[in-house]
Order: sequence, then structure tokens, then C-alpha cells
Amino acid sequence: MIESGSKPMSHESRFSAWCRTSVQWVRCLAAWWLNGCRLWDKACRLTLGFNVLQPNLLTRTFFYRSMGVLVVSTLMIASTEGAGAVPTTAEDTPLSQHDVLPILLLHCSPCHGGPRQEAKLDVRSVRGLLQGGQTGPALIPGQPAASRMIQRIRDGACPPNTRLVEANVKLVDASSLAKLTAWIAAGAPVVPDEPDLAGTTEDPLVTDADREFWSFRPPVPHPPPTVRNPTLTANPIDAFILRQLEEKGLSFSPEASSQTLLRRISYDLTGLPPSAEEIAAFTADSRPDAYSRWVDRLLASPRYGERWGRVWLDVAGYSDAEGKREQHLPRAFAYRYRDYVIQAFNSDKPYDRFLQEQIAGDELADYENAPSLTHELYDNLVATGFLRMPPDPTWANITGFVPDRWDVIADAMEVLGSGVMGLTMRCAQCHSHKFDPLPHRDYFRLVDIFKGALDEYHWLKPDLRPYGGAANLGPLGERSLPLALPEERQAWEIQNKAIQEASEAARVEEVRLTARYRTEQLASVPEILRNQILDALTLQPTNRTPEQVELLKQHATRVSPDRDALKKFDGGFKAQCDALARLESSKRPEPRIAALWDRGDPSPTYIYRRGDYQRPGPRVQAGVPAVLSKPGYRLNITPPWPGAKKTGRRLALARWLTEPGHPLTSRIMVNRVWRNHMGQGIVKTVGNFGRTGAPPSHPELLDWLAVEFERQGWSIKNLHRLILTSRTYRQSSRVDSQALQMDPDNTYLSRMPLRRLEGEALWDACVAVADCLDERRYGPPIPVQTRKDGLVTPGRSGTVWRRSIYGDQLRKEIPTILEVFDLPPMNPNCLVRNESTVAPQALHMLNDSVVRELSNHFARRLQRELRGDPQRQIEGAFLLAFSRPPTGTESAMAMATLRELANPGGDANTPDAALTALCHALINSAEFLYVD
Amino acid sequence: MSTRTPLCQGGPPQTPLTRRAWFETMTGGLCGAALSSLLRADFGGSARAGEPGGEIAPHASLSPRQPHFPARAKAVIQLFMNGGPSQVDLFDPKPMLDRRHGEAYFKNIAGEVENISSAGAIMRSPFRFSQHGKSGLWVSELLPHIARQADDLAVVRSMYTTNITHEPALYIIHTGQMRTGFPCLGSWVVYGIGSENQNLPAYVVLDDPAGLPVNGVENWTAGFLPPVYQGVRFRSRGAPILNLHPEIAGGPIASPLARDFLSRLNQQHLGARPHQPQLEARIASYELAARMQLAADEALDPSRESARTLDAYGIGREPTDSYGRRCLTARRLVERGVRFVQIFINGQIWDHHTGIKSGLISACQRTDQPIAALLEDLKQRGLLDTTLVMWGGEFGRLPIAQLSPDKSDENAGRDHNKNAFTVWLAGAGIRAGTVYGATDELGFAAVENRVSVPDWHATLLHLLGINHEELFINHSGLKERLTGVTTPRVVREILT
Repeated sequence: MIESGSKPMSHESRFSAWCRTSVQWVRCLAAWWLNGCRLWDKACRLTLGFNVLQPNLLTRTFFYRSMGVLVVSTLMIASTEGAGAVPTTAEDTPLSQHDVLPILLLHCSPCHGGPRQEAKLDVRSVRGLLQGGQTGPALIPGQPAASRMIQRIRDGACPPNTRLVEANVKLVDASSLAKLTAWIAAGAPVVPDEPDLAGTTEDPLVTDADREFWSFRPPVPHPPPTVRNPTLTANPIDAFILRQLEEKGLSFSPEASSQTLLRRISYDLTGLPPSAEEIAAFTADSRPDAYSRWVDRLLASPRYGERWGRVWLDVAGYSDAEGKREQHLPRAFAYRYRDYVIQAFNSDKPYDRFLQEQIAGDELADYENAPSLTHELYDNLVATGFLRMPPDPTWANITGFVPDRWDVIADAMEVLGSGVMGLTMRCAQCHSHKFDPLPHRDYFRLVDIFKGALDEYHWLKPDLRPYGGAANLGPLGERSLPLALPEERQAWEIQNKAIQEASEAARVEEVRLTARYRTEQLASVPEILRNQILDALTLQPTNRTPEQVELLKQHATRVSPDRDALKKFDGGFKAQCDALARLESSKRPEPRIAALWDRGDPSPTYIYRRGDYQRPGPRVQAGVPAVLSKPGYRLNITPPWPGAKKTGRRLALARWLTEPGHPLTSRIMVNRVWRNHMGQGIVKTVGNFGRTGAPPSHPELLDWLAVEFERQGWSIKNLHRLILTSRTYRQSSRVDSQALQMDPDNTYLSRMPLRRLEGEALWDACVAVADCLDERRYGPPIPVQTRKDGLVTPGRSGTVWRRSIYGDQLRKEIPTILEVFDLPPMNPNCLVRNESTVAPQALHMLNDSVVRELSNHFARRLQRELRGDPQRQIEGAFLLAFSRPPTGTESAMAMATLRELANPGGDANTPDAALTALCHALINSAEFLYVD
Repeated sequence: MSTRTPLCQGGPPQTPLTRRAWFETMTGGLCGAALSSLLRADFGGSARAGEPGGEIAPHASLSPRQPHFPARAKAVIQLFMNGGPSQVDLFDPKPMLDRRHGEAYFKNIAGEVENISSAGAIMRSPFRFSQHGKSGLWVSELLPHIARQADDLAVVRSMYTTNITHEPALYIIHTGQMRTGFPCLGSWVVYGIGSENQNLPAYVVLDDPAGLPVNGVENWTAGFLPPVYQGVRFRSRGAPILNLHPEIAGGPIASPLARDFLSRLNQQHLGARPHQPQLEARIASYELAARMQLAADEALDPSRESARTLDAYGIGREPTDSYGRRCLTARRLVERGVRFVQIFINGQIWDHHTGIKSGLISACQRTDQPIAALLEDLKQRGLLDTTLVMWGGEFGRLPIAQLSPDKSDENAGRDHNKNAFTVWLAGAGIRAGTVYGATDELGFAAVENRVSVPDWHATLLHLLGINHEELFINHSGLKERLTGVTTPRVVREILT
């Protein structure tokens, strides 16, 4: 197997040999496929997945799919060591350090590497092995039997089998040991450690033709096209849309009424219906630019961030719990990230900066040597919570092994890939992407960028905090930094001091009361006995005789009252204790920041063949997908500031992603904003801009928006403004039969789609019309309430509720109303919400006691505000629920219903119950749930 | 794009918003399945006629579909034993454990032990085994009722899985994958072949009123399949579905007047908005929600059963009442054409880290009689010929003891073991009275005729007439299957 004396082949040359082999095979197979694969038709069909359940047509997708199957299977064959007739280099190549280092990383580095170097041994490099630890070198080249590491492993001393779970390692298997032995026997050969960076030569895996796909080319500032009816264009968006409509013989639908528009923009920008005052003000505003003023006004509302922050929290997969295990291990400080996102939207933080902070906030500015934590540094660090959101079981030893960690890393890569880059990156985790030019190698180059912070061999566990609320202070964790804004720390200290003082005051009072209590209690005791007791009490407990101890024990209820007894004894003390308990329940953990930060000492990254950590392949180094950069592009990686103990890799990635003209970054974001206003994206597959994604319906508009977004300083609010003031957006949602025929699925936007409220908007609206909305913002999540039968309701405080976004976002206990209205499980994130229509929604809205309670609050509010006039109450109810007054018919209908309901023989025998029933019906109506 | 954010990214293909498309896709949530079926029953026929365009995903409904080949089983009842029942104390007797009782063994299996600090020596089973039926099946004394059905069972002693922790092992046994977000077995089945009854959900989950199992609702998720295929929880006591009935009797909406008002509001709203099929669908969902109550109530009402039947299941007395009710409900559902019924127990009653002696007795007492009654009842009604009943947990337990803090033999238990566990199957297509596969002499690992979880999944699908390779969904550019990228085999040796 190992020919001694032969020159070791460098891992780079092995790697390119591996790639070349693949490419040759791919070309060969592609040619065969194009010739009809005649000889092997049946087998081919089997491989390609025809089936009776889903008769597939030979579509373009199918072509790619089948090609993909061939390419991938070929790559797999080519990369499998010793795979029969397939030419392979792996087994022919002499062993090098790259064959053994992955084994040592996996089995040995938890104790002998990184910050924990037991016996002063660091196994992560050959130099470290030769240098050895306290007991000498770990290996002697050429002498495996005499090498300490081989002995230790062979004797079962390492890894110690009583500490396997605690250290999250497995025993070294026989084949790994054989490989280690063989490598040492061969003299522990080392190949030069050249950097793996994209070279100037042609990349065998990604060609220039691959770079020609539309989404991999920078967006182009197309001029708005000319249209036949330019009076219908309010801004360039309309020209792009109208041009296509006119080509189909269509035009825009009429403009929606101002009431409709107000309701539309209110829900769209703030997630809440307009109030009665807002409706009145808007209706009275006759200035020509009233509409755009209103758009500005809503954009300036702090409610805007609560609506649009939620969109981004879906992208990030925000959760207040770690997940993947039964226990809801709470993320004590995740809410800071939620608040950061809301504030970023409210302050219109430029999107490029927003991304840089979330991907590399820890490398943007030096927080370690800063004299105090500024708001900017705070934001930078909190923002890195973005890639800490995936479900994570690694806080527990038994689910904290390398494969578990690797899953968490893969999820983080997916959040970045799908949410920011619009690529189905996960496919390339196990093999080169079947459809897009994303080689397996490029996935691992991306993984290497994150190694300084997400290192499966040097892992920080989630902060382990017992469940049970804020006051339950567990040990401080590894994934948070002991930093806080000065004002927050001060407030925390002040509160702690207050608690301490109150506690001390209670203690003093307890002593005082105890004395009084004794005196009263002992008054009825015979004097001799009383004196004996008092004598005993004057002594220190340790100085009492056994008789005295026994005596005091006998009279314990008289002489040593507990706190409960004292509370009964003195009403004032009870009040004091209750106040103290309230104060203590508001006790918060020491403020820290949950973050992701580079630790400056990353493990090397090896490709995991088939995504399997037990099958390490060639070593790779940090880099961005080749298809998104010019041939020979090198990521400019430098330490973020002089002397920084950080790699600067993520900062380089963040800067590359936000470079002007990046093909994906701006397109993905404008498409996301567009989708959330217009009901569907210009690219319908918002998380897939690759070949299997949907092609853009208006490619030039997408590019124009992307370029404009960048040109306007990546301002998301400007983007909203642009879209909302377009004629396209202001269309009515009516469907006429011509539009239905020519544009059945509204691809060309011949009308606004009728849209159902998202779960949060529906719930918040129910609370808002009932006047039960508590608009306090930010802070720790509000716990949900889970009934024994499984019904989960949003947490409340008396008869008020905070907005849904401030509720505890758990993985297994989602408020039922949000769940039935399609709040998704975050596995790991969500790019498009479902819009289902199912019976449980009806059942919930009709039967749920909290919805009925809110109907009652709605009714009482009407009675309170519009005292004693049923007619006006009906008008008010319609205005609040539908943002419009009732028509004459509706008003009469409601009035008649109300009257009949309130009849002594009617179903509701009080005016209150009758109005409640009416309000309940309004909340249950289609008009409440849908936005025109 | 994700392979794991099914509910958001992987939905059905974008189709024109026709009325028909809406009916096809307006499914999901807690009991979307039931709704969908009712909808189809009402509107399916007329909606199909003469609708233009619109490629409809063939799977977005629950109407029965032809399997790949003739099915042996029409329905499945899965008796899921969460926690990991001890194979060596129930169905896989190991005399060697008696012989080597007390011998140190930890070092040989150190890498496979979760709780290292409490690992003890080899421990014999505290229970006696004896042979039963014509087949001579060995069954522990803890399961006297099931033992009487010995000749109906095919016991697989050589199952193994790949993770020793509950949560991931549950994901594996239910979805074939060690991660969250993949569809469960029952979802795959109803996705593949729909359901016989269009008035009840196709995939019903009977969870324990005393509490959810570990992983909660993730045990019956549809993952990235359309949400219509998600398991629908039916409670065996009280309201079978959350909010199926108003919580306040005689509350406002019970009023026909208010209902009439709502109906007229919706009709006016609809009338002013032509060509908006989702509005019609929503109105229908309100009407149908009411009708679903009737079908579910009837199916779940045990008072329609004879006193003798109730008694056979152990209903009306402890500790069998709760599990007995669920077993009886399962029969009633299968009888009505429900495709897949899954019965859970609260928490992890089979997770005997300590006190296996008392704990196993209690777990068996709760389930033994109801399960035996279910088998017998199905047989008497001729349903066992078409119903597959399967029993098992997510993994097995170790042959060595796990010691309690007091280190006593009396309170010892067994730790998790992924290398061997026992499952059994009965009913449709099963070669009754068989024992398949074997573990080593200590019962630590399956060594003979090993059956992986994907093998087991492939076998179940096979009994339902489904080829596991041909049951897939295209999701995010990947062809996802229950059996994933594995190459499992159907365990034909236990089939007739």
C-alpha cells in the first residue's frame, strides 16, 4: 500500500486529480446520455426515478435531474477509495499528514488541542505531535510500536472510555488506528501545506459558461421600457409591469379606493389595522400627496419594525429555545437579536451594513479592548445571533458529538445560503450540486470561512440554563459574552441592590417581630418555664445544653416562628414579604450578549465525502463559490485590526457579499420585499435563484430594483416607498374575466392579489380591535400558556396582550392560533409562509375561549366609547374590523340581528351578550381575514 | 434552498389560482386531512369537470389511490412504545445473562453507553420466560395476554438503529432521518395511497391524555409533504379535536342568529369579489368544520360498544382504561376506513434506566391486555386480515445494569441500546408465529439477519403495496424518500 521512498503527492494535486477524474467521467457519461443511453435504457429509467405514483414528463427539470444523477453518482464513484475499475488516486497515493490529522481532530483534539491541552500536548499539527507533551513526543517517525500515541490508543488509555461522552469522542476504530500506524511506519511523511485558494488556472469544476446563468451575473440597470399608456405609470416599476401587460392585451386594474389602500398599507407596513382616528384623518386629507405622506407616516411608526422584523426573523429561523431535545432549553438572551432586528428595520439600517453586522459583527470593530461597550459595538455583537438560531441539541453531552455539531453548522450554512444568497447550498453538503455549479469543494470552502467561530472540533456549547423563567439563574454559558451596555448593567445593579436591601429590611423586621411574637406567646407560660426558655435563648445555639436544646424544640412554635407564622402575626410584615417576593420575581440574570465570535484558532477544514465526517477528503481553505466570482478570485482575508485574535474570514465574506454589483445579494432582498407586498416574488422561489428555481417573471424589473436598491444606499424603506407608491401596487384586487383568462395566476400583476392575513397579523388585529393591545416594546419573551390538552395561547397580562412577535418563540409549543394560521416550525428557517385554508382555523376562531373573550372586549369597548347608541356602535364595529363604515344594508342587517339577539326570547339576553355575538361574527368574517 | 423547511419553501407547485386548485391545496394544520376529504366529497366531482389549465399535484388529496402492486394491508395500527422497551426482558430471552450475572462487561461496550458513571455489571432478567402457542414463542411473564396471541405475531429480534438518544432515535424511527423536519411514516403512507374514508382523517394519532410523548407533535409531522398528510390528533376523552366544540356551552356563536349574520356577511363579501376561489373555500371550511364534528364524535364514542367488548379492553378499570380506550378507538377508526392509526403513551413509560423491575411491570400492565384485546377483536371481525398491527419502540436496552444511586440490585435498570431491539408485527400479510433474526448471546447487538429501520420501513410500505423506491416527492431539487439514500431490503421472511 505504501511504497517507501516514493515522493508524497501533495494534497492539492490529489485534489485536482480527484476533480479531473470526475470531470472526465462526467463528460463521458454526458456524451453517452445525449446519445440516448440506448444500451441501458431500463436501468437508466430505474435510476432516474420514473414511477407510477408521480408520472413525470420529460421536462427540462427532468433533464437536469437525470444529468445530475449521473454527475453525482460519477463523482461519488470517483471519490470512493478503491472503487473497482474506476480510476482513482486515493489508494495509490502515499499517506500524508492529511490522512491522519482528521482522525486526531476527531478522537484526540477534544483533550489535546485548542484551549484544553492536557499533558501539554497539541495533536492538531504534525509539529505538535513531534514536539509532544509532558511524557515526550507523541510519535517517533518510522516506529509506530514505540510511538506513544499508538500505544495509548492501542492500550485503550486514549481516549479514556470513562470520559467518552463527557468529551464527546468515540473510540478510535481499527481502520483509523491502522492508518495512523501505517503513516508513522512510513516515516510520518508531510506534504507542504500550500494554501487552497482559487488559482488563476481554469477551474475544472466551474466554467465560464456556468457563470453565464442569469442570477450569477451582476444585475444590469435596464432603462424602463416605453409603454403605450404612460399616464398609467407613477414610477419606473409601472413601466416594466405595464409593458408586459400591454403585450398581453391587458392593463392595470382600476385604482383601489382610498379606504382599501389605507387598510392595505397599514397591514403591509405595520401588521395592524388602521385605528378609527387614522381612518378619519386619512379620509379628511385631501392633499394630492396624501397617500405617499401616509406611507411615510407608517414607515416611521415603530410598528413597522415589528411587522418587517418578523419577515427577517423567519429568514434567520429565530427561536427562543434550542430545540431538537425534549426540554425547551431557553436561549436566555436571544431576544436581544429579535430587538436588534426590529430596531434595524425601524432605523432603516442600510441592508449592506445589516448583513455585515449579522455575518461578522464581531470582526467589524474591536470590542475586546474598547473602554466601554458602545451602542454600535453592542449592535455588532448582538447581530451575530443571526447564525446562532438553528435548532441545537449540543448542550447535552449525548447529543453533542461531532455529527450533531456538524448538523448545526450545516443549518447555519443553510440559513445563509437560502436566506441571503438564494442558493440551495445544502445539496452541496454531501456532493457537488446536481443542478447548480456549486462543487462539494465550494461548500467546504464556505464552511472554512466560519471555522473560527463554528468549529466542530472546538465547540462552544449552548448556555445551559435550567428552564423556569428569568429568575432561575443557571451557570453562565460559553456562547455569551459578559458584556452589557453600561445603562443596562447599571439598571441591573440598581435592581439587584434594591432586592438586596428589601431582603435585608425583611430580615431585620423578622428579628424584631420574632422578639415581639415570643413575648406574646410566652406570656401564658408559667414563669419558671418562661425564664428557662429565655435563658436558653440568650445563649449561642452551640453553647446550649442538650436539655436546653430539647426545651426549645418543644416550644419551637412559641419561640422560633417561621416566616409564614410571622406573616399571620403581623399584617404589615405580610405586605412587606409580598412586595419582596414580587421584587425577587422580577430578578433578571446578569446581562450578557449571546453572540457568535471568531476565536482565532480554527481547525483545518477537510471535505467530508458524502457529508460524512468519518470520511474526510482533501483539505480546503476559506473561499467563496467559484461561480459567483471571477476565475482566480481570492477572498481578501486579513485580521480585522492589528493584533486581533481573529481570522477576519467572515468579515471578508460579509464585504464580498455586499460589494457593489454582487449578483445575488441585492436581487434576493428586493425580491423578498417585493414578495411580501405583492403576494408573489418576481422570482417565485425566493430561496432558490439557481437553475431549479423559477425564472423571474420580470427579469429587467428585478435588475432595475436591485441596482436602484444599491444606488439608494441599500435603504429598505426607500424600497418600500418605491413599491408602495407605484401604480402597480395601488391597483384594485378585483378580478375581471379578461384578466382571469389572460393572466390566470396573476403572473403579470394585472391586479393586486387578495391576501390572507398571516397568523401574527390576525391575532394582533383581534387584540387591537378589542383594545387590549399592550404596545410596550422589546425585552425578554412573554411565556406562552399551555393547557393540559395541548392548546397553547399567547401569554397575557390580565386583559392585555403584547404583540405576537414578543411572545416566546418555542419549537414545540406554538400558540395554536398561530400554528393553524401557518406559523412555520423553524427547521432551520422559513422563506415563504404557507397560506392554507383549513377547518381548524374555523374551529379555532369560532370556538376558542380567548377569541370569544376578545369579542367581548371588542363589544365593551364599543359600549364604552360609543355609549348607548347601538347604531353608532355598529358603525364603530365595522370601521374597526373592516376599516370602513357599514353600507346601509349591512347596517340594517346588523341592527336587526342585534335587536333579535337581545330580545328576551333571543339567544343573548343582555345588550352586552348581543353585541359580543355581533363582534364575534365580524372577527370570524372573511373581510376581517382578507386584505383587498 | 432548504431540504428542511418544508412548510415554507417546498409547497405544491405554483398553479393558477383556480377554484379547483384551491380545493386541492386548502389543506393542512391540525385536522386539515379531514377537511380536505370532506371538501373533495362535496365539490370534487363538479370541480373536476371542465376546469381549464392548472397542473394539479396528484398527491394533494386523500382520495384512495392504486398502490404499486396489490396491497396485503389496507390499514395500519402502530402501537408505539416510546422510551425503548427492554428486549431481553420481554421477547428475547438470554440464558447467558443468568449465567454471567454480575460479571463486569462495561469495558467491552464503553463507547455504546450513555450513562457511564452508573454503568454496572451484566444483569439477568428479573422475569421468567416461557413458550407459548403452537409456535412456541418465548414471551416474558410480564405479557400474559399478548402471550395468548403468540401465534399471531411475527417477532423481529434483530432490529437496530443508529442513535442512543431518545429525540434523534425517535426522528429515525418515525421519519428515517436523524434530523427534524422530515415526514413521518404515516404521512408517507397516506401521501402514497390516500384513505378509504373521506369523512375522517386518513392518519389519526391517538395520544395519551396524560401527556405527549417525547418530541411531541414532531412525531406525526408531515415535514415537507403537503400539510394535508400530517397526523391528526384525536383525543380519546372529551373533545377529540382542539376547539371542536365551543368551550362555553351556549356561547354567542351557538346562536343561529349570529351564525346567519356571519353567513350573510360572507356571502356579500364573496358576491362583491368574483373569481376569488379562496373565499368560497373558506366559507366551505366553516360549514365543513361543523360536519366533521359529527363523523368524529360517532367514531370516537365507545358507548356504542357492548359491555363485554369494553371489559375485554380493560376499559373502566385501572391501569388499562386509558390505553384500552385508545386501542378500541383504533379499531373503530380502522373499521371506518382510516388508513393509519398511531397510539402513543405519555412520556416514556418504557425508559427504565432504574427500577426496571417495578417499572416494566407497570408499563406492561397498562398495555398488555388492551393490545391482546385489540388483536382478538380485529380477528373476530375479520379485520386482522387487512390490518397490520405493529409494536415497538425507538431502541432497546443494554444487557448490563444501570445502577441507581443506592447501587442496589432491586432498583437497577438498563441504559439505552441502539444495537438491538425487538419489534413485532401481526395481521395482514404477516407470517404469524415467526421469530426472525437474533442477537448475540447477551442480547447486546443484533447479529443474525439484522433489520435496519429503513428495512423495517420498506417492509411496511411493501405490505401496503408500495415500493419504497418509488414513493418520493421532489423537494428543493432532491428526490426525497422515506428510506432516504439507503438501500434497504424488504424482510420477506416474515411475510406470507
